[in-house]
Amino acid sequence: MDSAGLISKQKQAVLDGSAERAVELAREAVEGGADLMACIDDGYVAGIQEVGRLWEEGEFFLPELVQGADAMKSAMDVLRPALLSRDDGPKTEIKVVIGTVEGDIHDIGKTLVATFLEANGFKVIDLGRDVPVDRFVETVVAEEAQVVGLSALLTTTMPAQARVIELLKERGAKDKTAVLIGGAPVTRSFMEEIGADGFAANAVEAVAKVKELSGMEK
Amino acid sequence: MKRTFKELLASRTVLLDGGMGSGLIAMGLQSGGCPELWNLERPDLVQKIHGNYYEAGSDVVQTNTFGGSALALRRHALAEKMESLNLAAAAIARQAADRMPDPSERYVAGNIGPSGLFLPPVGNAEPAELEDAFAAQASVLAKGGVDYISIETMTDLKEALLALEGVRRMTDLPVTVCLTFEMKKRGFFTMMGNSPRDAAASLVDAGADAVGANCSVESKAMLEACPLFFEGSSVPVVLKPNAGLPEMERGLPVYRQDPADFARDVAAMADMGARAVGGCCGTDRHFIAALRRELDARCGRSDA
Repeated sequence: MDSAGLISKQKQAVLDGSAERAVELAREAVEGGADLMACIDDGYVAGIQEVGRLWEEGEFFLPELVQGADAMKSAMDVLRPALLSRDDGPKTEIKVVIGTVEGDIHDIGKTLVATFLEANGFKVIDLGRDVPVDRFVETVVAEEAQVVGLSALLTTTMPAQARVIELLKERGAKDKTAVLIGGAPVTRSFMEEIGADGFAANAVEAVAKVKELSGMEK
Repeated sequence: MKRTFKELLASRTVLLDGGMGSGLIAMGLQSGGCPELWNLERPDLVQKIHGNYYEAGSDVVQTNTFGGSALALRRHALAEKMESLNLAAAAIARQAADRMPDPSERYVAGNIGPSGLFLPPVGNAEPAELEDAFAAQASVLAKGGVDYISIETMTDLKEALLALEGVRRMTDLPVTVCLTFEMKKRGFFTMMGNSPRDAAASLVDAGADAVGANCSVESKAMLEACPLFFEGSSVPVVLKPNAGLPEMERGLPVYRQDPADFARDVAAMADMGARAVGGCCGTDRHFIAALRRELDARCGRSDA
Protein backbone atom coordinates (compact mmCIF):
# COMPACT_ATOMS: atom_id res chain seq x y z
CA MET A 1 0.00 0.00 0.00
CA ASP A 2 1.22 3.53 -0.72
CA SER A 3 2.06 5.42 2.43
CA ALA A 4 -0.58 8.14 1.91
CA GLY A 5 -3.24 5.44 1.68
CA LEU A 6 -1.96 3.71 4.79
CA ILE A 7 -1.86 6.96 6.74
CA SER A 8 -5.40 7.94 5.78
CA LYS A 9 -6.62 4.50 6.87
CA GLN A 10 -4.85 4.95 10.21
CA LYS A 11 -6.62 8.24 10.68
CA GLN A 12 -9.94 6.63 9.79
CA ALA A 13 -9.39 3.79 12.29
CA VAL A 14 -9.14 6.38 15.08
CA LEU A 15 -12.25 8.18 13.83
CA ASP A 16 -14.09 4.85 13.78
CA GLY A 17 -12.86 4.12 17.29
CA SER A 18 -11.54 0.74 16.20
CA ALA A 19 -8.51 -0.30 18.26
CA GLU A 20 -8.32 -3.57 16.37
CA ARG A 21 -8.03 -1.85 12.98
CA ALA A 22 -5.61 0.77 14.35
CA VAL A 23 -3.28 -1.97 15.62
CA GLU A 24 -3.50 -3.93 12.37
CA LEU A 25 -2.49 -0.84 10.39
CA ALA A 26 0.33 -0.03 12.84
CA ARG A 27 1.77 -3.54 12.34
CA GLU A 28 1.48 -3.07 8.59
CA ALA A 29 3.47 0.17 8.90
CA VAL A 30 6.22 -1.43 10.99
CA GLU A 31 6.52 -4.50 8.76
CA GLY A 32 6.45 -2.47 5.56
CA GLY A 33 9.14 -0.06 6.80
CA ALA A 34 6.86 2.98 6.60
CA ASP A 35 7.80 6.38 8.01
CA LEU A 36 6.53 5.80 11.55
CA MET A 37 6.70 9.45 12.60
CA ALA A 38 4.47 10.30 9.65
CA CYS A 39 2.06 7.53 10.67
CA ILE A 40 1.88 9.03 14.15
CA ASP A 41 1.62 12.69 13.13
CA ASP A 42 -0.54 12.49 10.00
CA GLY A 43 -2.37 9.25 10.78
CA TYR A 44 -3.16 8.55 14.41
CA VAL A 45 -2.66 12.00 15.92
CA ALA A 46 -4.47 13.68 13.02
CA GLY A 47 -7.27 11.19 13.65
CA ILE A 48 -7.55 11.99 17.32
CA GLN A 49 -7.44 15.71 16.60
CA GLU A 50 -10.34 15.24 14.21
CA VAL A 51 -12.17 13.27 16.92
CA GLY A 52 -11.58 16.21 19.25
CA ARG A 53 -12.91 18.64 16.66
CA LEU A 54 -16.05 16.55 16.13
CA TRP A 55 -16.50 16.45 19.89
CA GLU A 56 -16.35 20.24 20.03
CA GLU A 57 -18.91 20.39 17.22
CA GLY A 58 -21.25 18.21 19.27
CA GLU A 59 -21.14 15.38 16.73
CA PHE A 60 -19.12 13.06 18.97
CA PHE A 61 -19.56 12.35 22.68
CA LEU A 62 -17.49 10.75 25.41
CA PRO A 63 -17.87 7.15 24.14
CA GLU A 64 -16.49 8.17 20.72
CA LEU A 65 -13.69 10.18 22.38
CA VAL A 66 -12.67 7.27 24.57
CA GLN A 67 -12.80 4.74 21.77
CA GLY A 68 -10.79 7.06 19.51
CA ALA A 69 -8.19 7.57 22.22
CA ASP A 70 -8.03 3.82 22.84
CA ALA A 71 -7.47 3.20 19.14
CA MET A 72 -4.63 5.74 19.13
CA LYS A 73 -3.08 4.33 22.32
CA SER A 74 -3.28 0.76 21.05
CA ALA A 75 -1.52 1.76 17.83
CA MET A 76 1.15 3.62 19.84
CA ASP A 77 1.83 0.44 21.82
CA VAL A 78 2.84 -1.18 18.53
CA LEU A 79 4.72 1.81 17.10
CA ARG A 80 6.65 2.82 20.24
CA PRO A 81 8.95 -0.25 20.51
CA ALA A 82 9.46 -0.23 16.76
CA LEU A 83 10.39 3.44 16.82
CA LEU A 84 12.85 2.94 19.67
CA SER A 85 14.52 -0.03 17.99
CA ARG A 86 15.16 1.97 14.86
CA ASP A 87 18.28 4.08 15.05
CA ASP A 88 16.75 7.21 13.61
CA GLY A 89 14.23 7.85 16.39
CA PRO A 90 14.99 10.53 18.98
CA LYS A 91 15.93 9.18 22.42
CA THR A 92 16.43 10.64 25.88
CA GLU A 93 16.77 9.19 29.37
CA ILE A 94 14.34 11.73 30.75
CA LYS A 95 11.32 10.27 32.50
CA VAL A 96 7.94 11.98 32.53
CA VAL A 97 5.09 10.84 34.76
CA ILE A 98 1.75 11.98 33.37
CA GLY A 99 -1.93 11.60 34.23
CA THR A 100 -5.33 13.23 34.68
CA VAL A 101 -5.93 14.20 38.30
CA GLU A 102 -8.41 12.53 40.62
CA GLY A 103 -12.08 13.12 40.01
CA ASP A 104 -11.43 13.86 36.37
CA ILE A 105 -11.91 11.32 33.60
CA HIS A 106 -11.07 13.55 30.65
CA ASP A 107 -7.88 12.13 29.26
CA ILE A 108 -7.77 12.86 25.58
CA GLY A 109 -5.50 15.90 25.98
CA LYS A 110 -3.27 14.06 28.42
CA THR A 111 -3.04 11.07 26.05
CA LEU A 112 -2.09 13.35 23.16
CA VAL A 113 0.65 14.92 25.25
CA ALA A 114 1.91 11.46 26.29
CA THR A 115 1.93 10.35 22.65
CA PHE A 116 3.86 13.41 21.49
CA LEU A 117 6.36 13.01 24.32
CA GLU A 118 6.93 9.36 23.45
CA ALA A 119 7.31 10.21 19.79
CA ASN A 120 10.01 12.67 20.88
CA GLY A 121 11.89 9.95 22.72
CA PHE A 122 10.88 10.63 26.33
CA LYS A 123 10.23 7.74 28.68
CA VAL A 124 6.60 8.32 29.55
CA ILE A 125 4.82 6.72 32.47
CA ASP A 126 1.13 7.30 31.79
CA LEU A 127 -0.93 6.74 34.94
CA GLY A 128 -4.21 7.19 33.06
CA ARG A 129 -7.17 9.20 34.32
CA ASP A 130 -8.71 9.81 37.75
CA VAL A 131 -5.25 9.38 39.33
CA PRO A 132 -5.09 9.89 43.13
CA VAL A 133 -2.73 12.57 44.42
CA ASP A 134 -0.60 9.99 46.32
CA ARG A 135 -0.16 7.85 43.27
CA PHE A 136 1.41 10.71 41.31
CA VAL A 137 3.84 11.46 44.10
CA GLU A 138 4.71 7.81 44.80
CA THR A 139 5.39 7.17 41.12
CA VAL A 140 7.49 10.32 40.72
CA VAL A 141 9.60 9.32 43.74
CA ALA A 142 9.92 5.63 42.79
CA GLU A 143 10.80 6.37 39.16
CA GLU A 144 12.94 9.41 39.94
CA ALA A 145 11.05 11.22 37.19
CA GLN A 146 12.39 14.60 36.13
CA VAL A 147 9.00 15.93 35.07
CA VAL A 148 5.42 15.29 36.12
CA GLY A 149 2.50 16.39 33.93
CA LEU A 150 -0.88 16.97 35.59
CA SER A 151 -4.00 17.36 33.50
CA ALA A 152 -7.35 18.73 34.73
CA LEU A 153 -10.30 19.55 32.52
CA LEU A 154 -12.70 20.69 35.21
CA THR A 155 -12.56 23.74 37.44
CA THR A 156 -13.64 21.41 40.24
CA THR A 157 -10.64 19.10 39.77
CA MET A 158 -7.99 21.79 39.32
CA PRO A 159 -7.39 21.95 43.10
CA ALA A 160 -5.98 18.40 42.86
CA GLN A 161 -3.12 19.83 40.74
CA ALA A 162 -2.24 22.06 43.68
CA ARG A 163 -2.48 19.13 46.11
CA VAL A 164 0.03 17.09 44.10
CA ILE A 165 2.48 19.99 44.33
CA GLU A 166 1.88 20.30 48.08
CA LEU A 167 2.48 16.58 48.61
CA LEU A 168 5.63 16.66 46.46
CA LYS A 169 6.93 19.44 48.72
CA GLU A 170 5.98 17.50 51.85
CA ARG A 171 7.90 14.47 50.63
CA GLY A 172 10.89 16.65 49.68
CA ALA A 173 10.54 15.70 46.02
CA LYS A 174 9.54 19.06 44.57
CA ASP A 175 13.16 20.26 44.02
CA LYS A 176 14.00 17.22 41.89
CA THR A 177 10.87 17.27 39.76
CA ALA A 178 9.43 19.94 37.50
CA VAL A 179 5.64 20.17 37.45
CA LEU A 180 3.83 20.89 34.20
CA ILE A 181 0.08 21.50 34.32
CA GLY A 182 -2.43 21.42 31.50
CA GLY A 183 -6.13 21.32 30.69
CA ALA A 184 -8.65 23.78 29.31
CA PRO A 185 -9.25 25.88 32.46
CA VAL A 186 -5.54 26.16 33.40
CA THR A 187 -4.00 29.62 33.11
CA ARG A 188 -0.61 31.21 33.78
CA SER A 189 -1.94 32.89 36.90
CA PHE A 190 -3.24 29.57 38.24
CA MET A 191 0.17 28.03 37.50
CA GLU A 192 1.87 30.79 39.49
CA GLU A 193 -0.67 30.59 42.29
CA ILE A 194 -0.11 26.89 42.91
CA GLY A 195 3.65 26.94 42.28
CA ALA A 196 3.79 24.81 39.14
CA ASP A 197 6.84 25.18 36.87
CA GLY A 198 5.04 25.42 33.58
CA PHE A 199 1.77 25.07 31.73
CA ALA A 200 0.97 24.18 28.16
CA ALA A 201 -2.09 24.83 26.04
CA ASN A 202 -1.54 21.94 23.62
CA ALA A 203 0.60 18.87 23.01
CA VAL A 204 3.23 20.64 20.89
CA GLU A 205 3.70 23.29 23.57
CA ALA A 206 3.85 20.56 26.19
CA VAL A 207 6.76 18.84 24.44
CA ALA A 208 8.63 22.17 24.18
CA LYS A 209 7.97 22.86 27.87
CA VAL A 210 9.14 19.40 28.96
CA LYS A 211 12.35 19.89 26.96
CA GLU A 212 12.86 23.25 28.65
CA LEU A 213 11.98 22.06 32.16
CA SER A 214 14.15 18.95 31.94
CA GLY A 215 17.11 21.04 30.83
CA MET A 216 17.29 19.65 27.29
CA GLU A 217 16.64 23.06 25.82
CA LYS A 218 16.78 26.48 27.38
CA MET B 1 -52.95 13.51 57.30
CA LYS B 2 -49.75 14.05 55.41
CA ARG B 3 -50.07 13.94 51.65
CA THR B 4 -47.76 11.62 49.77
CA PHE B 5 -45.01 13.19 47.71
CA LYS B 6 -46.88 12.30 44.53
CA GLU B 7 -49.99 14.06 45.80
CA LEU B 8 -47.88 17.10 46.66
CA LEU B 9 -46.35 17.06 43.19
CA ALA B 10 -49.81 16.90 41.62
CA SER B 11 -51.13 19.78 43.72
CA ARG B 12 -48.63 22.59 43.09
CA THR B 13 -45.08 23.58 42.15
CA VAL B 14 -42.76 21.90 44.65
CA LEU B 15 -39.76 23.83 45.92
CA LEU B 16 -36.73 21.60 46.42
CA ASP B 17 -33.50 22.65 48.16
CA GLY B 18 -30.18 24.03 46.94
CA GLY B 19 -26.59 22.83 47.09
CA MET B 20 -25.32 20.66 49.95
CA GLY B 21 -21.63 20.21 49.13
CA SER B 22 -20.90 23.93 48.89
CA GLY B 23 -22.60 24.43 52.26
CA LEU B 24 -20.46 21.74 53.88
CA ILE B 25 -17.30 23.22 52.37
CA ALA B 26 -18.31 26.63 53.77
CA MET B 27 -18.60 24.93 57.17
CA GLY B 28 -15.12 23.50 56.94
CA LEU B 29 -15.30 20.27 54.92
CA GLN B 30 -11.94 19.87 53.18
CA SER B 31 -11.93 19.72 49.39
CA GLY B 32 -11.57 16.02 48.59
CA GLY B 33 -13.08 15.01 51.94
CA CYS B 34 -16.11 12.70 52.12
CA PRO B 35 -19.29 14.80 52.61
CA GLU B 36 -21.32 11.75 53.70
CA LEU B 37 -18.95 11.09 56.60
CA TRP B 38 -20.33 14.23 58.22
CA ASN B 39 -23.64 12.39 58.72
CA LEU B 40 -21.81 10.54 61.50
CA GLU B 41 -19.15 13.07 62.51
CA ARG B 42 -20.99 16.41 62.21
CA PRO B 43 -24.71 15.61 62.13
CA ASP B 44 -25.44 19.01 63.75
CA LEU B 45 -23.98 20.87 60.77
CA VAL B 46 -25.71 18.72 58.18
CA GLN B 47 -28.99 19.27 60.01
CA LYS B 48 -28.33 23.00 60.13
CA ILE B 49 -28.11 23.08 56.32
CA HIS B 50 -31.41 21.15 56.01
CA GLY B 51 -33.03 23.47 58.57
CA ASN B 52 -31.83 26.53 56.68
CA TYR B 53 -33.46 25.25 53.51
CA TYR B 54 -36.76 24.45 55.22
CA GLU B 55 -36.74 27.89 56.81
CA ALA B 56 -35.99 29.48 53.44
CA GLY B 57 -39.12 27.76 52.10
CA SER B 58 -38.08 24.37 50.72
CA ASP B 59 -40.87 21.81 50.67
CA VAL B 60 -38.24 19.11 50.26
CA VAL B 61 -34.67 18.64 51.43
CA GLN B 62 -32.40 15.95 50.10
CA THR B 63 -30.38 13.65 52.35
CA ASN B 64 -26.61 14.15 52.35
CA THR B 65 -26.08 10.89 50.49
CA PHE B 66 -25.19 11.97 46.96
CA GLY B 67 -21.99 9.89 47.08
CA GLY B 68 -23.47 7.41 49.51
CA SER B 69 -23.57 4.24 47.42
CA ALA B 70 -20.97 1.67 48.42
CA LEU B 71 -19.26 2.18 45.05
CA ALA B 72 -18.98 5.95 45.46
CA LEU B 73 -17.88 5.57 49.11
CA ARG B 74 -15.11 3.21 47.99
CA ARG B 75 -13.19 6.27 46.76
CA HIS B 76 -12.87 7.28 50.40
CA ALA B 77 -12.36 3.69 51.61
CA LEU B 78 -15.71 3.98 53.42
CA ALA B 79 -17.74 1.38 51.54
CA GLU B 80 -18.34 -0.62 54.72
CA LYS B 81 -20.05 2.42 56.27
CA MET B 82 -22.68 2.58 53.53
CA GLU B 83 -25.52 1.50 55.77
CA SER B 84 -24.70 3.66 58.80
CA LEU B 85 -24.01 6.79 56.70
CA ASN B 86 -27.28 6.53 54.78
CA LEU B 87 -29.34 5.65 57.83
CA ALA B 88 -27.86 8.59 59.75
CA ALA B 89 -28.49 10.91 56.79
CA ALA B 90 -32.16 9.97 56.61
CA ALA B 91 -32.56 10.45 60.36
CA ILE B 92 -30.86 13.88 60.26
CA ALA B 93 -33.17 15.11 57.48
CA ARG B 94 -36.27 13.66 59.17
CA GLN B 95 -35.38 15.41 62.42
CA ALA B 96 -34.87 18.69 60.57
CA ALA B 97 -38.40 18.29 59.16
CA ASP B 98 -39.84 17.40 62.58
CA ARG B 99 -38.35 20.53 64.10
CA MET B 100 -40.33 22.75 61.76
CA PRO B 101 -43.70 24.10 62.96
CA ASP B 102 -45.39 22.34 60.03
CA PRO B 103 -43.65 18.94 59.77
CA SER B 104 -46.48 17.43 57.73
CA GLU B 105 -45.69 19.94 54.96
CA ARG B 106 -41.99 19.03 54.89
CA TYR B 107 -40.63 16.20 52.78
CA VAL B 108 -37.34 14.31 52.65
CA ALA B 109 -35.82 12.97 49.44
CA GLY B 110 -33.28 10.17 49.65
CA ASN B 111 -30.55 11.36 47.33
CA ILE B 112 -28.62 8.97 45.08
CA GLY B 113 -25.81 10.21 42.83
CA PRO B 114 -23.55 8.48 40.29
CA SER B 115 -21.40 5.52 41.29
CA GLY B 116 -18.28 7.26 40.02
CA LEU B 117 -17.64 4.27 37.76
CA PHE B 118 -18.17 4.24 34.03
CA LEU B 119 -19.93 1.64 31.96
CA PRO B 120 -18.44 0.36 28.69
CA PRO B 121 -17.19 1.66 26.33
CA VAL B 122 -15.97 4.54 28.52
CA GLY B 123 -15.08 2.35 31.50
CA ASN B 124 -15.22 -1.26 32.63
CA ALA B 125 -17.97 -1.19 35.25
CA GLU B 126 -20.33 -4.16 35.43
CA PRO B 127 -23.97 -3.12 35.03
CA ALA B 128 -25.09 -5.63 37.68
CA GLU B 129 -22.56 -4.26 40.17
CA LEU B 130 -23.94 -0.73 39.73
CA GLU B 131 -27.56 -1.83 39.99
CA ASP B 132 -26.86 -3.79 43.18
CA ALA B 133 -25.06 -0.85 44.78
CA PHE B 134 -27.95 1.52 44.04
CA ALA B 135 -30.47 -1.06 45.26
CA ALA B 136 -28.62 -1.45 48.55
CA GLN B 137 -28.42 2.31 49.11
CA ALA B 138 -32.11 2.81 48.26
CA SER B 139 -33.12 0.07 50.65
CA VAL B 140 -31.31 1.80 53.55
CA LEU B 141 -32.75 5.22 52.65
CA ALA B 142 -36.26 3.73 52.51
CA LYS B 143 -35.67 2.11 55.90
CA GLY B 144 -34.58 5.53 57.18
CA GLY B 145 -38.00 6.93 56.32
CA VAL B 146 -37.45 9.14 53.27
CA ASP B 147 -40.59 10.17 51.32
CA TYR B 148 -39.15 9.42 47.92
CA ILE B 149 -35.88 8.65 46.14
CA SER B 150 -34.14 11.30 44.06
CA ILE B 151 -31.57 10.03 41.56
CA GLU B 152 -29.46 12.96 40.36
CA THR B 153 -26.55 14.25 38.29
CA MET B 154 -26.38 11.16 36.13
CA THR B 155 -24.25 11.72 33.04
CA ASP B 156 -25.05 8.37 31.45
CA LEU B 157 -28.64 7.36 30.71
CA LYS B 158 -27.60 3.72 31.08
CA GLU B 159 -26.42 4.30 34.64
CA ALA B 160 -29.58 6.30 35.44
CA LEU B 161 -31.70 3.37 34.22
CA LEU B 162 -29.68 0.92 36.33
CA ALA B 163 -30.17 3.16 39.37
CA LEU B 164 -33.91 3.37 38.72
CA GLU B 165 -34.07 -0.41 38.29
CA GLY B 166 -32.11 -0.93 41.51
CA VAL B 167 -34.37 1.42 43.49
CA ARG B 168 -37.51 -0.17 42.06
CA ARG B 169 -36.30 -3.60 43.15
CA MET B 170 -36.20 -2.53 46.80
CA THR B 171 -39.00 -0.05 47.37
CA ASP B 172 -42.34 1.24 46.12
CA LEU B 173 -41.43 4.83 47.02
CA PRO B 174 -41.76 7.36 44.19
CA VAL B 175 -38.54 7.95 42.22
CA THR B 176 -37.43 11.13 40.44
CA VAL B 177 -34.50 10.97 38.03
CA CYS B 178 -32.41 13.96 36.90
CA LEU B 179 -29.63 13.79 34.36
CA THR B 180 -26.93 16.34 33.75
CA PHE B 181 -26.88 17.90 30.31
CA GLU B 182 -24.23 20.04 28.67
CA MET B 183 -24.77 22.77 26.14
CA LYS B 184 -23.16 21.53 22.93
CA LYS B 185 -23.15 23.22 19.54
CA ARG B 186 -26.00 20.98 18.39
CA GLY B 187 -28.03 21.42 21.57
CA PHE B 188 -28.32 19.78 24.96
CA PHE B 189 -26.85 16.35 25.51
CA THR B 190 -25.41 14.32 28.36
CA MET B 191 -21.68 13.67 28.26
CA MET B 192 -22.54 10.34 26.65
CA GLY B 193 -24.74 11.86 23.94
CA ASN B 194 -28.25 11.29 25.34
CA SER B 195 -30.74 14.05 24.45
CA PRO B 196 -33.32 15.29 26.99
CA ARG B 197 -36.13 13.85 24.87
CA ASP B 198 -34.59 10.35 24.60
CA ALA B 199 -33.62 10.37 28.27
CA ALA B 200 -37.10 11.38 29.44
CA ALA B 201 -38.81 8.85 27.19
CA SER B 202 -36.62 5.94 28.38
CA LEU B 203 -36.89 6.90 32.04
CA VAL B 204 -40.66 7.28 31.91
CA ASP B 205 -40.84 3.90 30.17
CA ALA B 206 -38.77 2.40 32.95
CA GLY B 207 -41.14 3.74 35.57
CA ALA B 208 -39.74 7.08 36.79
CA ASP B 209 -42.36 9.20 38.58
CA ALA B 210 -40.71 12.46 37.53
CA VAL B 211 -37.75 13.24 35.28
CA GLY B 212 -35.59 16.26 34.58
CA ALA B 213 -32.21 17.92 34.74
CA ASN B 214 -29.89 19.19 37.42
CA CYS B 215 -26.45 20.75 37.58
CA SER B 216 -24.04 21.50 34.72
CA VAL B 217 -25.71 24.62 33.36
CA GLU B 218 -26.75 27.93 34.84
CA SER B 219 -30.35 29.08 35.10
CA LYS B 220 -30.28 31.15 31.87
CA ALA B 221 -29.16 28.20 29.76
CA MET B 222 -31.58 25.81 31.45
CA LEU B 223 -34.47 28.22 30.94
CA GLU B 224 -33.64 28.38 27.25
CA ALA B 225 -33.56 24.59 27.01
CA CYS B 226 -36.65 24.20 29.20
CA PRO B 227 -39.12 23.17 26.43
CA LEU B 228 -36.85 20.24 25.50
CA PHE B 229 -37.44 18.66 28.88
CA PHE B 230 -41.19 18.52 28.38
CA GLU B 231 -41.03 16.86 24.96
CA GLY B 232 -40.38 13.28 25.96
CA SER B 233 -42.00 13.43 29.35
CA SER B 234 -45.53 12.39 30.25
CA VAL B 235 -44.64 12.73 33.96
CA PRO B 236 -43.80 15.84 36.06
CA VAL B 237 -40.54 17.60 35.19
CA VAL B 238 -37.87 18.49 37.78
CA LEU B 239 -35.35 21.28 37.05
CA LYS B 240 -32.40 22.33 39.24
CA PRO B 241 -29.82 24.55 37.55
CA ASN B 242 -26.54 25.83 38.95
CA ALA B 243 -25.92 29.37 40.17
CA GLY B 244 -24.06 30.65 37.14
CA LEU B 245 -20.72 29.38 35.96
CA PRO B 246 -17.98 28.75 38.52
CA GLU B 247 -14.83 30.86 38.56
CA MET B 248 -11.76 29.68 40.41
CA GLU B 249 -10.65 31.76 43.35
CA ARG B 250 -7.89 30.62 45.70
CA GLY B 251 -8.32 27.08 44.45
CA LEU B 252 -12.08 26.92 45.09
CA PRO B 253 -14.97 27.31 42.69
CA VAL B 254 -16.94 30.53 43.24
CA TYR B 255 -20.42 31.14 41.83
CA ARG B 256 -21.38 34.73 41.21
CA GLN B 257 -25.00 34.72 40.07
CA ASP B 258 -27.38 36.97 41.98
CA PRO B 259 -30.07 34.98 43.86
CA ALA B 260 -32.91 37.23 42.58
CA ASP B 261 -31.75 36.73 39.00
CA PHE B 262 -31.59 32.96 39.52
CA ALA B 263 -35.04 32.93 41.14
CA ARG B 264 -36.64 34.79 38.21
CA ASP B 265 -35.24 32.25 35.73
CA VAL B 266 -36.29 29.23 37.74
CA ALA B 267 -39.78 30.61 38.50
CA ALA B 268 -40.16 31.10 34.75
CA MET B 269 -39.40 27.39 34.32
CA ALA B 270 -42.22 26.65 36.76
CA ASP B 271 -44.50 28.91 34.70
CA MET B 272 -43.63 26.83 31.65
CA GLY B 273 -44.64 23.67 33.46
CA ALA B 274 -41.80 22.42 35.66
CA ARG B 275 -43.44 20.78 38.70
CA ALA B 276 -40.44 20.66 41.04
CA VAL B 277 -37.66 23.24 41.04
CA GLY B 278 -34.60 23.99 43.11
CA GLY B 279 -30.91 24.74 42.78
CA CYS B 280 -27.74 22.77 42.35
CA CYS B 281 -24.07 23.79 42.64
CA GLY B 282 -23.45 27.22 44.08
CA THR B 283 -27.01 27.76 45.31
CA ASP B 284 -27.68 28.23 49.02
CA ARG B 285 -30.61 29.25 51.26
CA HIS B 286 -30.58 32.77 49.82
CA PHE B 287 -31.30 31.39 46.36
CA ILE B 288 -34.06 29.18 47.72
CA ALA B 289 -35.58 32.04 49.73
CA ALA B 290 -35.57 34.23 46.62
CA LEU B 291 -37.19 31.42 44.63
CA ARG B 292 -39.82 30.93 47.36
CA ARG B 293 -40.73 34.62 47.06
CA GLU B 294 -40.98 34.40 43.27
CA LEU B 295 -43.17 31.29 43.38
CA ASP B 296 -45.42 32.70 46.09
CA ALA B 297 -45.77 36.00 44.25
CA ARG B 298 -46.72 34.28 40.99
CA CYS B 299 -49.23 31.69 42.02
CA GLY B 300 -49.57 31.95 45.76
CA ARG B 301 -49.46 28.97 48.09
CA SER B 302 -53.12 28.17 47.61
CA ASP B 303 -52.99 25.35 50.08
CA ALA B 304 -50.63 26.92 52.62
